[in-house]
Amino acid sequence: MKNIAIPILIAVIFVVLATYLVAFQVRETELAFVTRFGKPVRSISEPGLKFKWPAPIERVQTFDSRMRVLEPAQLSETTTKGAIPIIVNTYVVWRIAEPLKFYNSIGAVDDAERAIKEAERKLSSQINDTQNRIIGKHTFAEFVNSDPQKIKLDGPDGIQAEMLADLDARVQDQYGIKIETLGIKQLKISEDVTQSVFERMQAERKRLTDDTITRGDAEAARIRADADRVRKSLLAEAQARAKAIRGRGDAEAAKYYKMLEANPELAIFLRNLEALVTMLKDRATLVIPTDVEPFKLLREMPSLRAGEQ
Amino acid sequence: MVDEDKHEDERQHGEPPDAPTAQRDELDTASKSLSDALRISFAILKVIMVILVVAFLASGFRTVESGEEALVLRFGRIQRVVGPGFEWVFPYPIDEVVKIPVENQVTLRINSFWYKEGREDILGEGAKPRRYFPDKLNPVSEGYCLTRSQEKGTRPFSLDATIATEDTLETATPQARAGGASESTLIEAVEGSDYNIVHSRWEIIYQIGDVERFFKSVHMRDVLPGQVYFDVMRESLTPLLRSVVEDAVVDALVHYSIDEALQSIDTIPRHVRRLVQEKLDAMGSGIAVTSVQLVEVAWPKQVDEAFQEYVKASQERGKAVSNARSYAQTTLNQAVGRVAESLHRALKDETVDPEQLERLWAQVGGQAQDEIAQAQTYRAKVAASAEANANYLLSLLPEYEKRPELVAQEVYLDTIEQVLQNADEKFIIERADNAKGHEIRVLLNRDPNRKPKQTSSAETTN
Repeated sequence: MKNIAIPILIAVIFVVLATYLVAFQVRETELAFVTRFGKPVRSISEPGLKFKWPAPIERVQTFDSRMRVLEPAQLSETTTKGAIPIIVNTYVVWRIAEPLKFYNSIGAVDDAERAIKEAERKLSSQINDTQNRIIGKHTFAEFVNSDPQKIKLDGPDGIQAEMLADLDARVQDQYGIKIETLGIKQLKISEDVTQSVFERMQAERKRLTDDTITRGDAEAARIRADADRVRKSLLAEAQARAKAIRGRGDAEAAKYYKMLEANPELAIFLRNLEALVTMLKDRATLVIPTDVEPFKLLREMPSLRAGEQ
Repeated sequence: MVDEDKHEDERQHGEPPDAPTAQRDELDTASKSLSDALRISFAILKVIMVILVVAFLASGFRTVESGEEALVLRFGRIQRVVGPGFEWVFPYPIDEVVKIPVENQVTLRINSFWYKEGREDILGEGAKPRRYFPDKLNPVSEGYCLTRSQEKGTRPFSLDATIATEDTLETATPQARAGGASESTLIEAVEGSDYNIVHSRWEIIYQIGDVERFFKSVHMRDVLPGQVYFDVMRESLTPLLRSVVEDAVVDALVHYSIDEALQSIDTIPRHVRRLVQEKLDAMGSGIAVTSVQLVEVAWPKQVDEAFQEYVKASQERGKAVSNARSYAQTTLNQAVGRVAESLHRALKDETVDPEQLERLWAQVGGQAQDEIAQAQTYRAKVAASAEANANYLLSLLPEYEKRPELVAQEVYLDTIEQVLQNADEKFIIERADNAKGHEIRVLLNRDPNRKPKQTSSAETTN
């Protein structure tokens, strides 16, 4: 029994060890290729459990294929078309897309960190190159412009997209690196230019200040004028309305004038009398000759001359 | 390890029948004790094996905390994504579990567009006179963005309707600029001089949206023992997020004017957020931006004076306008009352319902109301007096027809009597037709305190 047990145990151990020798894992985050006697034979892009010949014959090289961001340590100055200096900082997000190319061009895979450093160093100089070339093809007005239609910084055929395409084509070919994203994360102007920008901003603000004051005054005046105009027109409307009402009153009164036709002479006489009363209601001073009724009475008294009453 | 289990079972069954068949007679004590020792050690070995197997299997249990999602990797390939709870996976080296926090939100502040702060800025002593600023901005030590100049032509993004209302002071300024700026930008539109400088501070909040894509494609430092995944994640992601956000800010701000930025309209953070999310999605990062905030915006200190003056002017403008508005209000109230505006609109509108117009007229106040009320009084009076006169005539008429002379005399004298009673002063004089002509001078000594009772004679003719 022991004789069976022990060989089985040994067999199991052997199988496990053999598996370790010939099998290897490629993680979701990795890309790999297999070399036979140092010569690359196949690359592996699918994760999972893979097999190869044991160590001296075949070896496997794995690469982290996840995206890394590369930000240049310092700003770089470049010039646009039209020789205007600008200061930019361009970052890229990159990853290893073709491990074999990467291996051949960068090498030094035994130390992953060093390989990445080396790749980043090469990438940086490529970024600089791309940056200078592409930015040199565009005018400054395409970066910043008061007319938004003319800004070409972003968008599918903007400056950044152009830089991305340019850089990606080169590094993918040379190093097996894919550029996922490229962007200008600082866009500045040279120190001397800032002074003139400030002067212009001040002048512009000054103009806006004056403009604001003028407009404020004008607006206030307009509001006042509007109010006055509306007031006038509304009052005119009200007066017209009042007149119409009066007119209606007069029309109503006219109905009764017909009744006066019974004796117009008398009617006018009565109306005159009434007017007399109304007109002389108060604060009247009358100077009356004595030949008027009933003052004739006064005159016909022989001994009395006209005088005060 | 299933194989190993079987293996052990076989041994268990096999051993007891095996032992008796050996030549017991020839066994000496030594070999017996040896076989005893072997049996015991086998038994111990069995127990250890069982414990190891159990421990091995038990090591496959994992707990996924709430707020986490876990990726189960089999031989390095993503097999499934699991939510919070217990999970059993094959132990190492077959399966591997990566737990990723999905609900933890990470806040990232972006200060790289802010100016270099002096001591006063950090201590926050606003009352102190501002320190000396150089005329220039050093591109290395000072952060800023370029914004476009005043708008010219159409706007790239529709601003909120609230911006367009002219009521508030802040929102009134873009309109003010629109007209005034155009003529001078034409003069100033020299190549490369068409922009402003603005400082800003941002804050973004992000979280992991898609664990699978995130795990696959975003580089992260390995989590060493004693480190928390979340902390490592945050640290590893900061450069990426910072770069993407800064890029988006630069790209977005060139589309806005400095005034739009200073008003902190929420279009700008929304724009930035959209750009950031687009970039993150385009590279398949699985990172979701929850919010982007424009924390602070400032004009460069070098132009502080001009901007302060502008702010003051804007406020004054607001004051002037609101004064004018209250004047308008008062004026209209006095003239027509509270319905002034609606009445004005109704009068202009030809389609308006006459009934509604009447209702509005019924509500007028002030001067207009007086005017109309007087007219109404007149109307009532004039009709009534005409009626009274007519009735009087008709009642007098029968008597008059019988004795016209007498009645006329009577009525006439009644009136004269009344008139003379009412008169303040009366002078009765001889007509001077026989004399050579003389003149009378009357000194009218009016009492100044007595006010005229009725002024508008036309309306009181009855």
